[in-house]
Amino acid sequence: MNALVVLAAILFILMTVIGKGKGVRSFFALFFNFAVIFITIIFLNDPNVNPITMTIIACIFISIINLFYINDVNKTTKTAFLSTVISTVILLVFIFIVTDKARIQGFGEEEIQELGMFSLYIGVDFVKIASAVIIMSTIGAITDAAIAISSPMREIHFHNPDISRQELFKSGLSIGRDILGTSTNTLFFAFFGSYLALLIWFKDLTYTPGEIINSKIFSAEMITILCAGIGVTLVIPITSWITAYYLVARK
Amino acid sequence: MNSFINLFKNMSYKRIISLSLFVLFIVASIVFVQHNHFLYERPIAKVLETELVDKTATENPFGHKDALFTQRLIAEIKNGEEKGRLIHLVNEFSVSKAYDHEFEAGDELFVSIDSENAENGDIHGSIQDVKRDTYLLYVAWVFVLVLLIVGRKQGLFSIISLVINAILLSYALDIYLSNPHWSLLLISSFAVVLFTVISLLLVNGLNEKTYAAIIATLLGTFASLFIAWLVLWLTTEKGLRYEELQFITRPYQVVFLTGLFLGSLGAVMDIAITMSSSIFNMIEKNPKIPVKALIKSGMEIGKDIMGTMTNILFFVYISGSIPILILYFKNGSPLGFALSMNLSLELARALAGGIGIVLTIPIGLYVTIFFIKRKRAGL
Repeated sequence: MNALVVLAAILFILMTVIGKGKGVRSFFALFFNFAVIFITIIFLNDPNVNPITMTIIACIFISIINLFYINDVNKTTKTAFLSTVISTVILLVFIFIVTDKARIQGFGEEEIQELGMFSLYIGVDFVKIASAVIIMSTIGAITDAAIAISSPMREIHFHNPDISRQELFKSGLSIGRDILGTSTNTLFFAFFGSYLALLIWFKDLTYTPGEIINSKIFSAEMITILCAGIGVTLVIPITSWITAYYLVARK
Repeated sequence: MNSFINLFKNMSYKRIISLSLFVLFIVASIVFVQHNHFLYERPIAKVLETELVDKTATENPFGHKDALFTQRLIAEIKNGEEKGRLIHLVNEFSVSKAYDHEFEAGDELFVSIDSENAENGDIHGSIQDVKRDTYLLYVAWVFVLVLLIVGRKQGLFSIISLVINAILLSYALDIYLSNPHWSLLLISSFAVVLFTVISLLLVNGLNEKTYAAIIATLLGTFASLFIAWLVLWLTTEKGLRYEELQFITRPYQVVFLTGLFLGSLGAVMDIAITMSSSIFNMIEKNPKIPVKALIKSGMEIGKDIMGTMTNILFFVYISGSIPILILYFKNGSPLGFALSMNLSLELARALAGGIGIVLTIPIGLYVTIFFIKRKRAGL
């Protein structure tokens, strides 16, 4: 039996038993998200498609799946959706500038031997693709933070309908601060886990600290981790403000 | 603007001084990293002028069009014996820039000095790499500032937690590399206990919620590791392609399993602390709430968070493979081959992490209830 099929079956059973209907939807959401990534990759193969535009479209679809399909279409998920898209676009501009300047796109010299049989001149813009990768790694965490903030904010507004926009914004920020530690931790460890092999390898290569810091692979990893942290943090004020703006009408 | 001035008026002198020191420190570090060439033994050159001299259209065997450009650069050497002299460099780059770069005036490069023209004193060299430390520092400062401004105290704790965990991980890897006969899984099991205790204490402080979350995290991670290991053993790892890990000269199955274990740890901690804090909160609001009601509400909370958490891991793992998948597709690789070569390990990690996340929901719930029952019996 294929190990991946067995793992997927175990996950499906656990999600169904523990999560019931919502668990089943969450499991299928993983598949839909995989399909979105796969279709995005197919489109990215076309040199005439701008990878940045394509990434924004992909992020919109992913947010629709994560927010509207797993949950419902309601005020909470709508504001979370808007916040996710706005945060993604802001973050993407920042990431693109950094990727372009620091020249962390494509493959490092340590990886290039493995790719010897491939032609690297394939006409697609790897700087934009590298920016797409960073934002796509973080999109799951961004939608998570957006819904985790807008949902209790709606509760607060429901229980205190007279709350001012400023007050509601502040309580959104404070909810966001409470989840900040755990969401950054989730991302950091996920990246540590996925970079573990490369870290061991870097240590084996006996590079000097200067060589490590300036190498493409290491700096690309560090910048990815830092940008992910910036992303899940920036979504806090953005979501708080948008939710407060939508829930409380101007007096 | 007025509120900005008021903000300053309301601050104590102590705060203003520490704030200015902090700003000064940021500026100093940026100035330093822009002038740290003396730290490096490799010659560094700053590009002054660029000139595009050649353009050739190329087409790879699969009909993908690209173009190769040749750039002549004049740069100034910033360190070493040749400091201050000009160096001539030639750079080739393509449209795709998968393994090459286009340079502009102001870029700093590591170069090697090849020859010296005796007649006019020009140095010729070749480009080795890009000096990236400045950009790394800029992004690091943006990260620190965003986390501090938005997150305040919690932001500071997140930064501390990242730094401590990174140092701890690096130290654990050093122990493994100097004692290769020790099991990496055993070393990282110790590290995982430390990671969990440190991170959860930083996130949530010293209290019963944290203790319950620590126990739930450890049970959840080790349970998911055990399941993953059992599945890999029973299926004889069919469907997993380790080729992408073969560059390391270490037993890569163990490295993969450790990465899987470590990668899901943050998500499992998140679930554990969410479960324990929300159940403790319910008790605080209504101390007489029956255990049955707690279990019911706990499961409802778990349902809400399991989907988004599995998604977070999924995107972190899968997205990294996008560039290499494009390279495979563009080089005429069959779909199934490209996917299994580059995604099998990532998918296994994401699925095993998902199993850990979902398992931690009931584990976290019952561990917390155990703590609550003990507390009630003691009262």
